[in-house]
Amino acid sequence: MGLVARAIEAAGIPTVSLSIVREITEKTPPPRALYLRFPFGHALGEPGKREQHFAVLHRAFSLLFEADLPGTIRDSGLRWKRETYPPPDWDEFKKLEPVHR
Amino acid sequence: MSSLRLKNRVLARVFTAFPSLAARWGKGLAMNSGEVPWAEPRVPLREAVLALVTTGGVHLTTQPPFDMADQAGDPSFREVPVESARELLCITHDYYDHRDAAVDLNLVYPVQRLKELEEAGALGGLHRLAYSLMGHITEPHLRELQEITAVEIARRLAGAGVDYALLVPA
Repeated sequence: MGLVARAIEAAGIPTVSLSIVREITEKTPPPRALYLRFPFGHALGEPGKREQHFAVLHRAFSLLFEADLPGTIRDSGLRWKRETYPPPDWDEFKKLEPVHR
Repeated sequence: MSSLRLKNRVLARVFTAFPSLAARWGKGLAMNSGEVPWAEPRVPLREAVLALVTTGGVHLTTQPPFDMADQAGDPSFREVPVESARELLCITHDYYDHRDAAVDLNLVYPVQRLKELEEAGALGGLHRLAYSLMGHITEPHLRELQEITAVEIARRLAGAGVDYALLVPA
């Protein structure tokens, strides 16, 4: 997946990738990856857990704007089945925008 | 089902249950240390058009399935309209346990969630076409993935004026 992210980024489109096996992502780093210690086939989390899915997406889009080095792999810090997730906060999503450096 | 496909599906369940095995497998992969490109984000999320790319093997039931007989994987892609009804979508991918993803496609193909973000005014828009591949591509198909498939997806997204792409693995 890193190769596809790189090609899209090379075409001028900023990308953010989810990663569930850090060791695989480290071998072919995409420009920005959010690492989730989740099982294969569960990058967004558990089935039907909408709040969890939005928590993952918020972290992914934050990384899209905050990363400043190609090949960044950020640990989401989320533990599999051991977190409680609040309902999505749309206002927090609406604040996501390019960071002025 | 062929014995090869059965074997791969059993292995996929084992790898899903024991992520440390996947980590060990990952450590053995070759380093792909080519230059990592960079494009600077310029648009707030609330104004941006986002494209979804998945390696979860999702496709329309009317599209040819990914080739599961080739042990090196299938480096082709499928273009999937995000408005497609759930019953028109399926997953062909023997290298991960997709029983949960079949119940909730958002796990590998979060179209519903991204549409909710759009409806809430937090995302400018979801690009009308998602791009789907299968992961688990090894030589001799890596070159085709890198030089043909990935480049073609990038060309189409750039041509459509997409601002950002989210990539979700299997």
